[in-house]
Amino acid sequence: MRLYLQIFEILLPFFYFSTIWVYAKIFFRSNKLAERLAPYFLYATLLSHACYIIIRTLEYSHPPITTIFEILSLIAFAVIFSYSYIEIRTRSKMTGYFILMLPFFFQTISSIFIKELTVIPPILRSYLLGFHVTSALLGYAAITISGVYGFLYLMLYHDIKSSHFSVIYKRLPNLEILEGMSFTATVLGFILLTIAIIVGLIWMPQAVEKFSYADPKLIGTIAIWIVYAIGLAAKKIIGWQGRRIMVLSLIGFAVTMFSMTIINMFFSGFHKFY
Amino acid sequence: MNIFCLGINHRSAPIDVREKLWFSANEIPTILSFYKEKYFKETVLVSTCNRTELYYVQHNTELSGEPLWKILAQQKGAELFFQENHFYSISSLNVVKHIFGVASGIDSMVLGDVQILNQMKEAFALAVENQTAGFLLNRLFTAAFHVGKRARAETEIAEGAVSVSYAAAELASKIFEDLSNHTALLIGAGETGELTAKHLAGRNLGNLIITNRTRKRAEDLAGKLGGRVADFENLQAELSHVDIVISSVEAPSYILSAGDIRQAMKARGNKPLFVIDIGLPRNIDPESNTIDNVFLHDMDALNQIISINLAHRNAEVPKIQQIILDELTRFKNWHDSLEVIPTIQQLRDRFESIRSSEVEKHRHHFAADKYEELEILTKRIVNKILHTPMANLKNGTPEHSETETRNKIHTLRHLFGLEKKD
Repeated sequence: MRLYLQIFEILLPFFYFSTIWVYAKIFFRSNKLAERLAPYFLYATLLSHACYIIIRTLEYSHPPITTIFEILSLIAFAVIFSYSYIEIRTRSKMTGYFILMLPFFFQTISSIFIKELTVIPPILRSYLLGFHVTSALLGYAAITISGVYGFLYLMLYHDIKSSHFSVIYKRLPNLEILEGMSFTATVLGFILLTIAIIVGLIWMPQAVEKFSYADPKLIGTIAIWIVYAIGLAAKKIIGWQGRRIMVLSLIGFAVTMFSMTIINMFFSGFHKFY
Repeated sequence: MNIFCLGINHRSAPIDVREKLWFSANEIPTILSFYKEKYFKETVLVSTCNRTELYYVQHNTELSGEPLWKILAQQKGAELFFQENHFYSISSLNVVKHIFGVASGIDSMVLGDVQILNQMKEAFALAVENQTAGFLLNRLFTAAFHVGKRARAETEIAEGAVSVSYAAAELASKIFEDLSNHTALLIGAGETGELTAKHLAGRNLGNLIITNRTRKRAEDLAGKLGGRVADFENLQAELSHVDIVISSVEAPSYILSAGDIRQAMKARGNKPLFVIDIGLPRNIDPESNTIDNVFLHDMDALNQIISINLAHRNAEVPKIQQIILDELTRFKNWHDSLEVIPTIQQLRDRFESIRSSEVEKHRHHFAADKYEELEILTKRIVNKILHTPMANLKNGTPEHSETETRNKIHTLRHLFGLEKKD
């Protein structure tokens, strides 16, 4: 089983890379063959990643949420899964190239640094924790997707405004669609994050001895939540539209990335179990 | 190949000459009947604003008398306007190649023009209706329509806007998803503005408001395009509830300042506003483009879109040429396979002449009643020998039947010395 895991760890980045390559052909060259092949590449990668996660869960008898590298792989899976859903719904393959960059990046880092597990803290075997982590991860995936759409929105916005009609202008869906996609993903991410925070705050003080409200990850997550709460309020109450709201969405994305990576790597707290 | 084309187009003659040879759909039936009766076996006349082309299949005899271009010009009573070099005259496979180029849009004045295919279909329908398109032109036009269809499906030859009004409409649909929820304000009743509004309406624009210094002209246009007329003095008030502004008035200075637009943006909750300024000199302060969610574009920007799209269409031409080459080969194979009937006939004639001459030579060996039997017997033998090969030749093989049949015909003609046709 461990051998299979290692094979998957090597293959997955290649699968992601080749899928991105096919989507690049669609975006930059509007290649008809690539358009036909894209679903096969996408679903093959999705399926392989699902297999990898299942095998890992079975092998270590717990969901892969114990190290940052397992979590990165899980986020990569959540992103490709959500993207597949978006592609089926919008029938547009033009944003795949941009979105899939992220799972490729996450999975590559995960594949390089992931280790075999030796000791698993007993606390990581709780079901409530599973709920907390799953909603947090799906929330992060939704926020990541919203960030990419925000980024694409700003690129297209800039192209149109400056009369620079590049391939971005030619191929991307229109501003309203991009804003809509980003907004839907944001709302979803916000709801999931809210659930993750509530579950965490109710359950953690009882389960973890060293629980502290000053935990960097807790502060980071609440900062993300506040940025998105401000953004949603600005949209709903003040009626912000277009560029400003998209900039805010990108700020939220940047804070999220900071919280997920830097805090996890360089700060310690009760959230660090490994 | 007995197919010919006489034509005049944007490359061979200037517009003042071309327009003299434009035939309306009402005139064409008379012309077609005239040619069919007097000169040709089959004929189709295609006439658009950029080309007039007469496709025809000749009878076996060569045309004599006045040159065809003169006869065509005479139909319009305008032969003095034309010179021989205004026309091109092509024949055989070159006609096939030419009509495929026309149908695919690479021969159009605006590369990739989508209208030409429909115009060809209409011209062909007129010929069918008047019974002047026969077996050969039927196949030629059907093949040309197939090329046109392939060109649009397999390449991007017709993609992207190549006119100012269309480019403006295309730009609008890069900002808004569904135009049916949006309102456009047309300032001025000029032609380009009108065309832009028309293109937007074609994309399901929700509402149209028209304003003009002379209210009457705005009302006329509103009657034509639908929509409501607003007072020119009320421009600022109208701005607050529209999402698209098309401005094309002649004015010495800006009719809308950046301040006006900023104020309007506040009033409309900062929702995106798309402003197309096609006035010369410009109608709207270019400074407005610095305001958040305002997209201001002038003629330069629209022309830039057009030239990018044209360059893209140009890059698609080699793909089209490949399609034309494929279809040309197919057409030629089909045409070659037509030789099957005359070949069978010639082969029968050849066998029959051998049989009858041999029987004739030995006639004196037989009594009259026996001679008749001999005739029947030898005929039956010849028929039986020829039956299977002829049947196989006619049916061909299910796959690549045209190519196979053509090869068989060549072999047969060679083996039996039939190469020289009558």
